[in-house]
Amino acid sequence: MHYIPRWLRRGLFNLFAWTVILLIVLPLVWMITTSIKPQSELFLIPPAFFPEEVTFEHYRRLLTETPFLTYLRNSVILAGGTTVLVIVVATLGAHSLVRFSYPGRETIAGAVLFTYLLPSVVLVIPLYFLMAALGLVNSLFSLVIAYTSFALPFALWLLRSFMSAIPPDLEAAAMVDGASRFRAFIDVILPQAAPGIISTALFTAILAWNEYLFALVLINSDASRPLTTGVMNMLVTSFNIEWSLLMAASVMMSVPLLVVFVFLQKYLTRGFGAGAVKG
Amino acid sequence: MTQGYRNRSMTPGTNTQSARPGRTLAARDNLLGLAFIAPTILVFCAVIVYPLVSAIYLSLFSIYTPTMEGEWVGLANFQELLAKGEFWRSLANTLLWTVGTLTLQLLFGMLVALMLHQNMLFRSLARSLVLFPYFLSTVVAVLVWRWLFNDLYGIVNHMLMWSGFIDMPVDWLGRMPNAMLSLIFVGAWKYFPFVVIAVLARLQTIPDELYEAATIDGAGSIARFFDVTLPQLKSVLVVIVLLRAIWDFKEFDLIYLMTGGGPVIATQTLPLMVYKEAFALNRMGVASATAVLMMLITLTFMIIYLRKARD
Repeated sequence: MHYIPRWLRRGLFNLFAWTVILLIVLPLVWMITTSIKPQSELFLIPPAFFPEEVTFEHYRRLLTETPFLTYLRNSVILAGGTTVLVIVVATLGAHSLVRFSYPGRETIAGAVLFTYLLPSVVLVIPLYFLMAALGLVNSLFSLVIAYTSFALPFALWLLRSFMSAIPPDLEAAAMVDGASRFRAFIDVILPQAAPGIISTALFTAILAWNEYLFALVLINSDASRPLTTGVMNMLVTSFNIEWSLLMAASVMMSVPLLVVFVFLQKYLTRGFGAGAVKG
Repeated sequence: MTQGYRNRSMTPGTNTQSARPGRTLAARDNLLGLAFIAPTILVFCAVIVYPLVSAIYLSLFSIYTPTMEGEWVGLANFQELLAKGEFWRSLANTLLWTVGTLTLQLLFGMLVALMLHQNMLFRSLARSLVLFPYFLSTVVAVLVWRWLFNDLYGIVNHMLMWSGFIDMPVDWLGRMPNAMLSLIFVGAWKYFPFVVIAVLARLQTIPDELYEAATIDGAGSIARFFDVTLPQLKSVLVVIVLLRAIWDFKEFDLIYLMTGGGPVIATQTLPLMVYKEAFALNRMGVASATAVLMMLITLTFMIIYLRKARD
C-alpha cells in the first residue's frame, strides 16, 4: 500500500466511511422523503429518490383526520409522568445506596442490577392481573406504574454510578460548616449530580416514549393509547395501508429525539459513559 | 462506557469509607438513609417482586384470560410445555435470532467503531448519525423497514432488481428463511450502535505507546489490530456480548411488529409465545409457565454477567 499517496488514501477512506454512514441512515432518509411525496409519486416504478413535488398534505391529514394528536398528548403525559416519578425515587434511592450504610444495602444494589436485566414479558401478565383487579386497565396511570418496573432499575443503576463519582469530602465539608445531612444532600449533592440526573431523565423519557409491550397489553381504548401502539394500530386497522401517512407519523414520533440529539447530545454520551444502556 | 472503571466502583467496600465520614454520623443518619431508600423498596415490591412471585404462582394454575378464573394444576403446564414441540421450536428460534443478530451487531459495530476512531471529515456528525437507530422507537424502525421491504413498491426489491441480484420481487417477511434473515438484519441495524459506543469509548483509552511499540517491532496495521487492539477490547467485548445477549433474548417489540412470529411460527420467539398464549389463546397459566422457563434461561446469562461485573 506504500505506493498510494497519503492524500489519496485519506480520500478513499473518507469516501468509504461516509458511504457506510449514509447506508446506515438511508432508511431514515427514505422515511422523510416518503412522507413529503405526493401519493401519486409513491408508486412510481422505478421509484424516484427525491420527490419531484414536495407536499405536506400527509402531515395535515395526520394531524386533522387521525387520532394522532390524542396519542401524542398521551405519550407526552406518559413520558413526563414516568420520568418525574422515577427520577425523584431513583435520586433518593441512589444517594442512599452510595452514601449510607445499613444492613441489606448490598442486597438491594444486587437486586437493582438483576431487575434491570429482567424480561418485561415476565412481569406483564401479573401486572395485567393487578391493574384489572384494581380497575386501572385503560388508564395512563396504570402505564406510568408499569413503566417504573423497567425505568426505575435502569435509572437507579445509572444514577448510582454518577453519584458514586461525587467526592464524599464535599458532603463532609458542608456538614462541618453546620449543615444537616439532609441539607447537605439538597445543597451539595443535588447540584453536583445535576448533569447525571439530566442524562438519566433523558434516557428514562426516551425509554417511556418508545415503550410498546405494556401499552399493548394494558391499554385498549383510543382515548388513552400512546403513540407507539396508536400508530401501529393505524397500520393494522387501515383497509389499504397508506405508507406516506405512516411515514409522516414516524417522522413526527422521531422529532423529540432529534431535538435531544441536536441540543442535548452530550448528556446522552455521558449516560453511555456511566453505564450500559437498556436496549 | 468505561466498564472496568464502573465495575470497580460497584464492588462492595469502595463506598463503606465514604458512607461514614469521620464515624460521627451515627444511627440518626442511617435512618435518613433508610428513609431515602424506602420509596425505591416500595415501588420494587409493587411492580417487580409481587409480579415476579405472582408469575411463578400463576404458572401452577389453568386460567382463562377473559374471566381470570382458574384451577390448580400443579406442574401440568410445565409438563405440557416441555412435551410440546412449539416450546422447543420457539426456544430454537430465540437462540437462532439471538446468535444471528448479536454476531452481526458485533461485526458491524466493531467495523464502524474502528472507522469512527480514525480521522475522518465531520467525525462528530458521523458519530451522531450512527447513534440514531439505537434511540429510535422500535415502532418507527419497524414501520420504515416494512415499507422498505414492501414486495411491490419497496426500495429494497427495486435496488436489488436494478443491480441485477434478483429477477423477481422477493417476499422478505412472509417466507422462510427470508423472514428470519430480515429480522436478524433489522435487529443488527437497530442495535449495533450500542456496540459502536461501547467499543469507541474503550478504543480512546488504549495508550498510543502500545501502537508505537508494535510499529517499532515491525507490526503492520493488521498485526497491530490483532496484537494490540483486540486484546485491549476483550474485557469490554465480553460485557457487550453478555448484555446484548440478554436483551436480544428477551426482545419482543421488533419481532412481534415485523413478522408477528410468522410465517406460522417460523419466527416465533419465547417472548412472542408468552404473549400469544396469554392474550390470543387466553391460556394465562401456560403463558406464565413459559415466562418462568424463559426467565430461568435468562438467569443463567445474568449470573455469568454478574460474576463478570464483580471481577
